[in-house]
Amino acid sequence: MTDALFLALSALAIWSGWRVFRVDSMVRASFQLMVSFIAVGLIAVLLAAPYIGIATIFMMAVEMMVMALFMVMFMMNPAGLNPMVMVHQHRFSVAAGSLAFAGLSAAVLLSDLPVRPVPEGAEVVRDLGHELLGPSMLIFETAGVTLLATMIGAVVLSAHSGRYGASDAGSRPPGLTPGGAPAGRKPEGGGGHHHHHHGGH
Amino acid sequence: MTLVSVLIVAAALIGIGLYGALSQQSFVMLMMGLELMLNGAILAVIGFWAFSLGGAPEGQLLAIIVMAVMAVEMAVGFALVVAVYRKRQADMTESLKTMRH
Amino acid sequence: MIVATLALLLALPPLIWAAAMFDRIGTGRGAIVMGPIRNGAALMLRPNTETEAPDRLNRLLAPGWYLALALVGLSVVPLAPGIVATDLSTGLVLWGACEALTVVVVFLHGWSPNAPLPLIGAYRYVAIGLPAMLLSMFVLIGAALPAESLSVVEVVEAQRGLWNVVRQPLGLPLFMALGLAITLRGPFDYADGAELAGGTSAEESGPALALWQFARASMLVAFSAMAAAAFLGGHLGPVLPGPVWLLLKTLAVMAATVAAGRFFARMPPARMLTFLWVVLLPLSFVSLALVGVEVLE
Repeated sequence: MTDALFLALSALAIWSGWRVFRVDSMVRASFQLMVSFIAVGLIAVLLAAPYIGIATIFMMAVEMMVMALFMVMFMMNPAGLNPMVMVHQHRFSVAAGSLAFAGLSAAVLLSDLPVRPVPEGAEVVRDLGHELLGPSMLIFETAGVTLLATMIGAVVLSAHSGRYGASDAGSRPPGLTPGGAPAGRKPEGGGGHHHHHHGGH
Repeated sequence: MTLVSVLIVAAALIGIGLYGALSQQSFVMLMMGLELMLNGAILAVIGFWAFSLGGAPEGQLLAIIVMAVMAVEMAVGFALVVAVYRKRQADMTESLKTMRH
Repeated sequence: MIVATLALLLALPPLIWAAAMFDRIGTGRGAIVMGPIRNGAALMLRPNTETEAPDRLNRLLAPGWYLALALVGLSVVPLAPGIVATDLSTGLVLWGACEALTVVVVFLHGWSPNAPLPLIGAYRYVAIGLPAMLLSMFVLIGAALPAESLSVVEVVEAQRGLWNVVRQPLGLPLFMALGLAITLRGPFDYADGAELAGGTSAEESGPALALWQFARASMLVAFSAMAAAAFLGGHLGPVLPGPVWLLLKTLAVMAATVAAGRFFARMPPARMLTFLWVVLLPLSFVSLALVGVEVLE
């Protein structure tokens, strides 16, 4: 039963992970990635890690939602249901990906892995809590401070008002053809109307 | 369900993620490749924790740290995308030609 | 476990009917008691509308996912001591995951028809729904602190002496903001608002719309049961048996949520976003800090 579930969830995780780079719309891609994360979260629940598994689902649902939001914001067609292919160095990437998979699999198959499973009846969530706010508190708090620094950095990076004036001053959109005339919105003297984006979710 | 099978699934996720991160032109799709690699990393960490760590909580802690790394990557990534979009009005990696030299 | 699942599935349809009745009281939208059934039956007979180049799969599945999330969320609520459908040590986290996925599902519902009004509704709903969900998690951590557990069973048991609604007076009102957001009503109804001609449901009719409304009502039931368990002591209470207490409290929260949805006015999305991040979210921090101080003593 567990084995069948594991196989099904692994297949789902890999298949939807692959579909991320094969679907037409970026919104679809972000939700495919979310499905992949949910499958991995459920595998973690099968592996007796209920907190990590469900927290992964929770976190990734939010993250992928934010991602889809940005997709809609930046895409040429907001509903994103038109076909699109935007890849470069395709062969090199396929080779690199296959090589990474082959190398890691070989490492897994050739190395002697220790076997010490989680003891029956271990209170893994309680243990994790005591670890987080006990021996590993410094690590945990460092992660917290890092996140705070990230939030500040993200807001500073994405803020419209910069140290040297508005951040989109003199911005020229790229041409529709290489080296062509700028497409889309033309820069105006006073800056015109701007879209205000909020960073740091 | 053995440690080997879990790790091979994780390796597949990392491989696909690497392909995506290298091949995509759009910044946001590139970030999706990175996220997929971290997804594989979480699976590998949880697999090791469940099968070879004897229930030591540090394995779960490492998974939480990986999640924090993901959050940082997302936030900084999107902030950079917004900054680049303001400057170049594009969200493609090719729009940053000046970074080549 | 099987007993609890069966009991929930039996209790759900009448409760959904009750939710639909609450929604009709005082609105003049037809008969209060038979109205929901009649409208539902009428919708079942109508055809679904077609849009240009929709995402068919997600359009078909979104109402079903919404209903499924309500059911999963409801399943962690204990009906009586020892009777719970999903006995999970991290029940509150599972509920949180359901909240987060609800935002995703509402977005999919608005995005998949490939039409402007639903997309606008979905887009602004996400901006409002995410912070609302965030603040509910802080409030729920507050409810979990005295129980020293993330299991909803333990959270209910920890309220034997004193209900959380007395101990943490800020908790329930803040949690109700989430309830309004995930059931798409009142001040947080940026998804299906009337000014967008139904928002994410603007292009829907027929059985798909009926299922969406059904799912929305069952999410109200799930939220109310969760609020009753986390803040009103769930099945605890004198004289009457546990499940009856839970039923009464669930109905009370349902009525209060519907009333709050009618009472509070809706703000422009930008101002609501500021209000959520600047007022409500810090309030939930304050609530959590007060709970921490109380638990330390």
